[in-house]
Amino acid sequence: MSVSIDIENVVKRYGDKTIIDGLSLMVSPGEFFTLLGPSGCGKTTLLRMIIGFNTIEGGEIKINGNVINNIPVNKRNMGMVFQNYAIFPHMSVKENVAFGLKNRGLSKQEIEDKIKEILDIVKIDEYKDRMPDKLSGGQQQRVALARAIVIHPQVLLMDEPLSNLDAKLRVEMRNAIKNIQQQVGITTVYVTHDQEEALAVSDRIAVMHEGKIQQIGTPRQVFERPLNVFVSNFIGVSNILEANIETNGGERNINFDNNYIVKMDNLRDDIKDDLKVLVSVRPHEFIISKNEEGIKGIIKGSMFLGLNTHYFVALEDGKEIEVIQNSDLSDIIPNGTRINLEVKPNKINVFDCNSQKTLIQVGEKHEYAS
Amino acid sequence: MNMPAKNKFNIWNILALIILSFFLLFTVYPLFLVLKKSIVDPNTGAFTLSYLTKFFTNKFYWVTLINSFKVTIVVTLLSVALGLPIAYLMRKIKIFGNKIVETLIIISYLSPPFIGAYAWIQLLGRNGVLTKFINSIFKLQFNGIYGFPGIVLVLTLQSFPLVYMYISGALKNLDNSLDEAAESLGYTSLERVFKIIIPLVMPTVLASCILVFMRVIADFGTPMLIGEGFKTMPVLIYNQFMSEVGGDDGFAAALCVIIIALTILLFLIQRFVANHYSYSMTALKPMMPQKEKGIKNIFAHLFVYLTVLLAILPQIVVIYTSFLKNRGGQVFIKGFSLDSYRATLLAKDNSIIPNTYKLGLAAILIIIVLGILISYLTVRKRNSLTSTLDTITMFPFIIPGSVLGIAFLFAFNQKPLLLSGTAIIMIIAFAIRRMPYTIRSSTAIISQISPSIEEAAISLGASETRAFTRVIVPMMMPGVIAGAIMSWVTVISELSSSIILYTNKTQTLTVAIYTEVIRGNYGNAAAYSTVLTLTSIVSLLLFYKLTGKKEIGV
Repeated sequence: MSVSIDIENVVKRYGDKTIIDGLSLMVSPGEFFTLLGPSGCGKTTLLRMIIGFNTIEGGEIKINGNVINNIPVNKRNMGMVFQNYAIFPHMSVKENVAFGLKNRGLSKQEIEDKIKEILDIVKIDEYKDRMPDKLSGGQQQRVALARAIVIHPQVLLMDEPLSNLDAKLRVEMRNAIKNIQQQVGITTVYVTHDQEEALAVSDRIAVMHEGKIQQIGTPRQVFERPLNVFVSNFIGVSNILEANIETNGGERNINFDNNYIVKMDNLRDDIKDDLKVLVSVRPHEFIISKNEEGIKGIIKGSMFLGLNTHYFVALEDGKEIEVIQNSDLSDIIPNGTRINLEVKPNKINVFDCNSQKTLIQVGEKHEYAS
Repeated sequence: MNMPAKNKFNIWNILALIILSFFLLFTVYPLFLVLKKSIVDPNTGAFTLSYLTKFFTNKFYWVTLINSFKVTIVVTLLSVALGLPIAYLMRKIKIFGNKIVETLIIISYLSPPFIGAYAWIQLLGRNGVLTKFINSIFKLQFNGIYGFPGIVLVLTLQSFPLVYMYISGALKNLDNSLDEAAESLGYTSLERVFKIIIPLVMPTVLASCILVFMRVIADFGTPMLIGEGFKTMPVLIYNQFMSEVGGDDGFAAALCVIIIALTILLFLIQRFVANHYSYSMTALKPMMPQKEKGIKNIFAHLFVYLTVLLAILPQIVVIYTSFLKNRGGQVFIKGFSLDSYRATLLAKDNSIIPNTYKLGLAAILIIIVLGILISYLTVRKRNSLTSTLDTITMFPFIIPGSVLGIAFLFAFNQKPLLLSGTAIIMIIAFAIRRMPYTIRSSTAIISQISPSIEEAAISLGASETRAFTRVIVPMMMPGVIAGAIMSWVTVISELSSSIILYTNKTQTLTVAIYTEVIRGNYGNAAAYSTVLTLTSIVSLLLFYKLTGKKEIGV
């Protein structure tokens, strides 16, 4: 009974400023779908268009194929969890959860049962008679979630629900949210600017920037095969290096400045010789080379973080990059050491310098593709 | 919030329109009539400046304006000279009994100034206790503290609490680490006061100065009672309007216009100061009063105690007087009795106290309902309509009471709007005049409620009106009640408009006190004043209890 959400060419304008100009996406029934992007990218605006707090100036939003553009918020039957939880401070936990049930013509017993059920699911049954100011941030978060789910909404919307929690609680709560969402099986749209959080909870992620969708894909897809430089930079850490393409018969190589040449087998067929490209290399996609091959650099600093050791390396052109090595591999390399860096050709991403778009083959089969 | 419903005739706009028409009818229209009467000849209907010219060319008249300025400026300066050091001392040094001292200061602020005037007449008037005492000791012919010094004494003691409360609030938001930072950078205690503390509270000092200025320049009761030959503008206005030989409406209107122009100017200055010279501070670690030793400690205590004693003295005198044995309320004889209460509270058919409560509570009811709606509309439903509402509802704040009273009589003296002489006109005057307190504290609290609270309620299926009544209104209540109590206390001590609007049937406590004083019946006046003071104190305690705060919003 989960529903799908179709967003077709929607437009959002404030006065004569267009925030979102013809955006489309589709969320499948029961999916945990995340809108991810930096602040001001339009993700919250889009979320508030779905629930109806924002008007829609063009295009359509459909639930299971039915246009909902003109249905008032209180008739849309969507649950929303707010960034600041928006718990009613003058009502107890139970009254908060009951609020949405009370004008639905349910019997007292039905209301009681539903409250009991949901408080069990979100694990705050023992606090049901407390006032909100006696709850911790995590507990308030659970109340907000319970209150939104208990009305059996068609869609659950969450607007940066974890941003007010401390780091440890954030991890705990995102697991809880993920579990509860799976348990209830409700179509969910989740907004966040935290890429790690998005990777952790989502079935699919839409990366947004300046009101446009940059990429939609599974967490692995957006992390490992970003479609453009923005996505590559926004999700995880990327070192962007300049290089040139060298074609040699059917072979396509990337030539880094100091003549370190890497053979690639997943670049698009139509690439021309000598094309300027940007190569995105994640810190863990470098190998500190034992031989003379590789990009030359000097270690400027290091940071031991247990499992991994991070190195800050200055390249010959002055650019500083970050390299991560498994701490088990070697002792910490002292500052000032000259090293050569190789890259993992099947991991790195290559973008056209002008269009900033990926040059990796569409539908490229790599071992993790889903 | 941006709702899909684009309908301009939604419930909020309709409410805004209704409230706006209420204010147009009861504020803008009467004031417009005042302006019209001041520049239109009633016989020919032509434009005339004769009323204004009459004022500015006749020394008998324009001197009242000079007098008003003299009084106001001196009182404002003295109020700062008392309020600032007391606020600082109370925050810096542990004053024994500081809680009581603070409460006494607030009580003296809440009581109507003219009661102070009348109490000081009893002490330092022609036949005052202190006057006789001084004259007999020093063999003087001191004739009582009337005129300029009397007005200044009374109004200063009544106004410095306002400066105190404002500055005390600002000092509380001043983080102690600012002072400590300056100390660590090598500044001495006195240098820190002048380089850190005073500059930071300066905007507050200015703001409170302007408020004192506005209150004092509009005050009518004090100069009327203790001013004698020294007339100020509000006294002139009252006399011109109420004159037994047929008041001159046009001239009175012209006087009103002059004083409104002044208060509007002050209000604009105040806005400017508030917008341009305020620092937003919130103290994580406010200044904590420290125990002081030696001469510094003694001096601080003496200064605070003496000032507060002077401020609260009128209340003590009044309560004391109310228990004196007397004949017919005028001649006091030795011993104590409940004569004054017998003659007032317990007198047959005495409707003064029930009147005060009935009219006051009716006004408060209007204030609460409109206050909630106005603050909600102006904060949450911002549009040109509600912005207008926001401005108009602050109007009464700058219109002196006597001017509002006169304007009401101009406007509602004939059918179809014949309201003069009714209880309704009194209630509306109270409501309009004292609503800003409730609006301000309601606005403050609604600004703190996140809009997503309301959105949450709506997303859960509640209609906008249900979200408002079930979620927003209950959440606003603490702020509304706090403001309403302040409105209540000022309603019952209101004199300047009720003295113009009352009839025998709608006499209130303040009017009764005033008329009894004028008649020389000090016993009855004292008994009424005591009732008024007690009501204020009980209201204040209720305020403390409900808000859990030990300070009042001013």
